[in-house]
Amino acid sequence: MDLIHPFTKAEVIDAMRDASVRGRRVLVVGGRRHMDKGEPCEIDAEVWTTQLDQLVSYEPAEMVAVVEAGMRVGELERLLAEGDQEWPCDAPPEATVGGVIAAGSSSPRRLRVGPLRDTVLEAEVVTGDGRLIRSGARTVKNVTGYDLHKLVAGSLGTLGVIVQVALKVRPRPPARRTIRVPGGLEAGRRLLEAVPGPAAVLATPDVVEVRLEGWPEEVEQQAQAAWRVAAALDATEGEPFPSVRPWEDRPVVAEAAVPPSGLPDLLEAAGDAWGALVGVGLAWVGLDSADGPLDALRARARALGGIAPVIRGPGGLGEARPAALDVHRRLKAAFDPAGVLAPGRFWGGI
Amino acid sequence: MADVDAARRALEDALGPAEVLSDSLALALYARDASMVEGGCVLVAFPRKLDDVVACARIATEHGLSIVPRGSGTGLAGGATPVGDALVVVTSKMNRILEVRPEDRLAWVEPGVLNLDLAVALAPRGFTFAPDPSSQQVCSIGGNVNTNAGGPHCLAYGVTSNHVLAVDVVLPDASVERFGSEAPETAGYDLRGVVVGSEGTLGIVAAACVRLTPLPPDVRTMLLDFTTVEDCAATVSAIIASGVVPAAVEMMDQGIVIAAENFAHAGYPTDAAAILIVEVDGLPAAVEAQARAVEAAARANRVREIRVAADDAERALLWKGRKSAFGAVAQIAPHYHLHDCVVPRAKLVEVLSGVYAIAKRHDLVVTNVFHAGDGNLHPLLSFDRRIPGTLERVLAASEEIVRLCVEAGGSLTGEHGIGLEKRDFMPLVFSTADLQAQACVRSAFDPEGRMNPHKVLPAGARCGDFTAALGMDAAEAARNLPEGSWI
Repeated sequence: MDLIHPFTKAEVIDAMRDASVRGRRVLVVGGRRHMDKGEPCEIDAEVWTTQLDQLVSYEPAEMVAVVEAGMRVGELERLLAEGDQEWPCDAPPEATVGGVIAAGSSSPRRLRVGPLRDTVLEAEVVTGDGRLIRSGARTVKNVTGYDLHKLVAGSLGTLGVIVQVALKVRPRPPARRTIRVPGGLEAGRRLLEAVPGPAAVLATPDVVEVRLEGWPEEVEQQAQAAWRVAAALDATEGEPFPSVRPWEDRPVVAEAAVPPSGLPDLLEAAGDAWGALVGVGLAWVGLDSADGPLDALRARARALGGIAPVIRGPGGLGEARPAALDVHRRLKAAFDPAGVLAPGRFWGGI
Repeated sequence: MADVDAARRALEDALGPAEVLSDSLALALYARDASMVEGGCVLVAFPRKLDDVVACARIATEHGLSIVPRGSGTGLAGGATPVGDALVVVTSKMNRILEVRPEDRLAWVEPGVLNLDLAVALAPRGFTFAPDPSSQQVCSIGGNVNTNAGGPHCLAYGVTSNHVLAVDVVLPDASVERFGSEAPETAGYDLRGVVVGSEGTLGIVAAACVRLTPLPPDVRTMLLDFTTVEDCAATVSAIIASGVVPAAVEMMDQGIVIAAENFAHAGYPTDAAAILIVEVDGLPAAVEAQARAVEAAARANRVREIRVAADDAERALLWKGRKSAFGAVAQIAPHYHLHDCVVPRAKLVEVLSGVYAIAKRHDLVVTNVFHAGDGNLHPLLSFDRRIPGTLERVLAASEEIVRLCVEAGGSLTGEHGIGLEKRDFMPLVFSTADLQAQACVRSAFDPEGRMNPHKVLPAGARCGDFTAALGMDAAEAARNLPEGSWI
């Protein structure tokens, strides 16, 4: 298998043009953090984005940072810290910005910071046949034209190579606290009700972590509310967040998404290695294999109107069919006419 | 060729005769929205349920009509102004709130539900729908979805796209699809994210699943007044730089303050060069901390007076002046042209002074009331179109304003959309390749170009045959694609 290692956008364009003409199938790779997500697909080459890692512009007063997509998340964090701001993705430092966006991952603090795709204001993408296209704008608000950048977020590199993005960043909360309370989902639900505006309520089979962020006085007020619920229990407090990840040591991890009230049904028989974002409806479920238990989890997710793709280990995305499959196929054909970008990796065999 | 009579009969059969209009008055009424552009249509239909919308799409296709979805018709860019043999599908009779589920923080609503009606219905349960356009008393959720509407409070809460979890869409081939879901992630590309803000060009939104936002426990609204526009604008950047993202930061210049005060009697200082309405919300402790930071930023920039709304009544009054400003300008002249463009916050002063110069050069009155926190300008040109030559001056000034904003690193529109009015400006911000890609997205949803034609993209932007550039023929390219790709 070949390795293509572009240093500039122009080299990405050349590489994709060449791949399309020669019918060479490529996988776009950033920090290799999301390699397991997606259906297995055969490829002839990898396109590494990691040399496209420059800061293009950052003005803290605009709350917008423009970076090349191969920039590591840790480097972006460091740059934004100078403006006392953050891009709330909470991905490992070696992940790339483009990789996190293409994989459609979100922060455990999603309850407060929202889905990561909402932070992408503008994107430059090289299509499968080597056209550089841009959508969006470098302003926090914009409704000019179709939001193509929404399509590439979560597209697993099947529509184009994300080469540059403008990100909406936010002030770093001046105060952060994490309170740990024994209990599972039910305790999580009570804490979500009792605590106003938490950043996260992460429930696991044995312990619930409540993450609080904001102004010091505000966080104090939230903490008091949390402690009122937790007082009777053996609660503790301290960094980091999240500190309890029981799903991490299993060979297969699925990331299930269901309506928030569906979490108890989803996790009823999901074993003892899960963590769920209460109020959001995301759950990471650790499994020993990709066989029966994964099928059972997916069946429950489907019954609740959700999905359960695997993000680590074998198992792929699952059987769910995207809505309007014809529209999906026409989009794929328009952005990748030769079908060279990770063919078959995406939902619906795209 | 469109067969209007046959389409009318089929629609009357499907929807009932009372729900289809074709008389000249109706056709004239629905030939425009709140923009300055006038078009024309051949039929107007008022679906009451999903099946009616499906029938509209089916019948329009069968009889060669284009489809123009319309909510309350408050759009300011001509997105709902029909052109040609158009069936206008008015969703205002689909106005039920279908389901409110606090446990999932969501509600399902029909597209004709009015924005403020939804907010009022949710309030007793402790929630709101965060986007709050100035037209919220009359604009519909379907319209909000189609324009990706903003409003004063999207500074902290985000635009409509951030508050729409799913949409049920009737595509032009009359199929019904749900994009997005009640779950936080879904299988497939984010077609929801593309439909939101697509100005009715991809399909007809027949229902929307919206996110519920908890009402903040505490709110503080402040009026800050300044003796110079520069100090006022600098305060906006200083607030953001201090780490505070207020719920809203609205700026009004002297011209609009005088007009609004005459109308609303909100106690606005009419001798100020510019004022800011700043709102902070959250837990009481957070409100206190943010208010302190806002005051410090304002004092550092020579604020003359800070007035804090003492109670809900005073708060409502401060907002009344702001939200009724566009009506109040009727005092200045009978017509107005309201602009909408976005620039980096740091460029606000520079662009504003440019706007004043442009208006002066064209002998027009300009006033400004806008979402300063977002850098979202709304220069408002007042005029009397009955005076010959005036409209031409307005249009010339408008184009200069658009170019000024783009040159400052901004964008064509922050919340009103492109519609008909700005489509020919699209090449100012997008390359041919960008526009072709956008045309491809559009034709992926609507291969026959039946949905709201002539909107958003400039004439000539087409989803080209890219395979030719690769030296492949179409048949060869098709072989590389999953089965069923070509429809």
